[in-house]
Amino acid sequence: MKRNIFCQYTKKLLGGCLIFFVQSCGTSSIVIEGQYPSPNVTKIPLSIGVIYPQELIDFNYVEYSEIGEEEYRVQSGQSHRDLFDALLPSMFERVVVLDSIESAVSQEVDIVFLPAIEEFQLALPSKTKLDVFEVWVKYNLRISDSEGKGIADWILTSYGKTPTRTMRSVENSINQAAVVALRDFASSFTLGFSQVPEIRQWLSQR
Amino acid sequence: MNKLRIHKYLELIIFVVPFLLFQSACTSTTVDEFRQGATGIKTDESVVILGRRQGSEYETREEFVDCVGDRVSSGQDAVTVIPEREFVDAMFPWFEPRTAPMGVSNLERLMADNLVSEQMEKFGIRYMVWLDGFTETSGRTGSISCTAGPGGAGCFGFGSWEDDSSFNARVWDVKSRQNVGTINTDASGQSYLPALVIPIPLIARVEANACSRLGDQLKAFVKGG
Repeated sequence: MKRNIFCQYTKKLLGGCLIFFVQSCGTSSIVIEGQYPSPNVTKIPLSIGVIYPQELIDFNYVEYSEIGEEEYRVQSGQSHRDLFDALLPSMFERVVVLDSIESAVSQEVDIVFLPAIEEFQLALPSKTKLDVFEVWVKYNLRISDSEGKGIADWILTSYGKTPTRTMRSVENSINQAAVVALRDFASSFTLGFSQVPEIRQWLSQR
Repeated sequence: MNKLRIHKYLELIIFVVPFLLFQSACTSTTVDEFRQGATGIKTDESVVILGRRQGSEYETREEFVDCVGDRVSSGQDAVTVIPEREFVDAMFPWFEPRTAPMGVSNLERLMADNLVSEQMEKFGIRYMVWLDGFTETSGRTGSISCTAGPGGAGCFGFGSWEDDSSFNARVWDVKSRQNVGTINTDASGQSYLPALVIPIPLIARVEANACSRLGDQLKAFVKGG
């Protein structure tokens, strides 16, 4: 009787250990989540139409371990939509979310903005031997007029880092570094938009 | 016989543990102040303490900035401190790691923007303090091994390490657009981790000491005198 109880407990313990082992071997998924402030800048007198391509929402980056196994999966999710929702209304006189470039004329917008992620890089302290988590994101920001004629293809790189902390998980730190990178993107976008030579030229010709 | 053994253990606990705790509390802190201008603050004016985060290998921890802020805004001669996060968000995108002013000349240029100066006035900022620095751990020695068996679990061994904190605070007078001074703080201390069945951490509060000394000095500095 006693032996049966011992066997039952041993089985449960081994089962628990197996679940823990399998879980610790799996990929950790991180959906970027954060809060973004609205910029404190003078509005540009333009009506902007923004298209959120499905690839931007579905974007995910996989970090592989040194033996080639999936280690972390970073998903963009709604983060860019949240960022642009906070950013664009403070930057432009009018913001319209468009389904496609074809609806730009009927919505009477001056320019159409189509953001896309070209590259994503992640640096973990376990690999760099630094006490920081780092994220780089390279964007391609397509800006065209209401008829779809290209004005600029603006390549913008953003960077975010966060120090390692004893009580914070790796997933949380990666998210934090990604949120800092998104804030960096927002600040460069806000201050640099009117400085892009092609956009500046287009603005001066209006 | 048993009584004698208990007595010996009690003696050990009464004399050795407080000695070790005393040792652990020994942290040496040095504060240097370099004043470049007169200071003083009115009751309706405030201070904002910001961390420098431009460095590639380290960044001034948010917790340390908050700790210094708490120290300055508490006690008898408390000064109003605007929380870093609240200020940086309200001033977005002007105080991000890549866009923050590196010198008073940049601040002068930034204040020429009406939206920035209006926001700064709303907060009533008189002094802007830039904290820059980090805590480094070095000289890790010793080892601790832990075992668990059917009869119980326990650890045995000894570990020690040294923490060094180095921070500087640059104080800018927002009203006169001048650098009015710098306060440097260096703190170091040795931590121990003896393990005799259970590990007893005897941690030197290096960063906490650097924070309290820097906070007190900063409070006195902006108050002038």
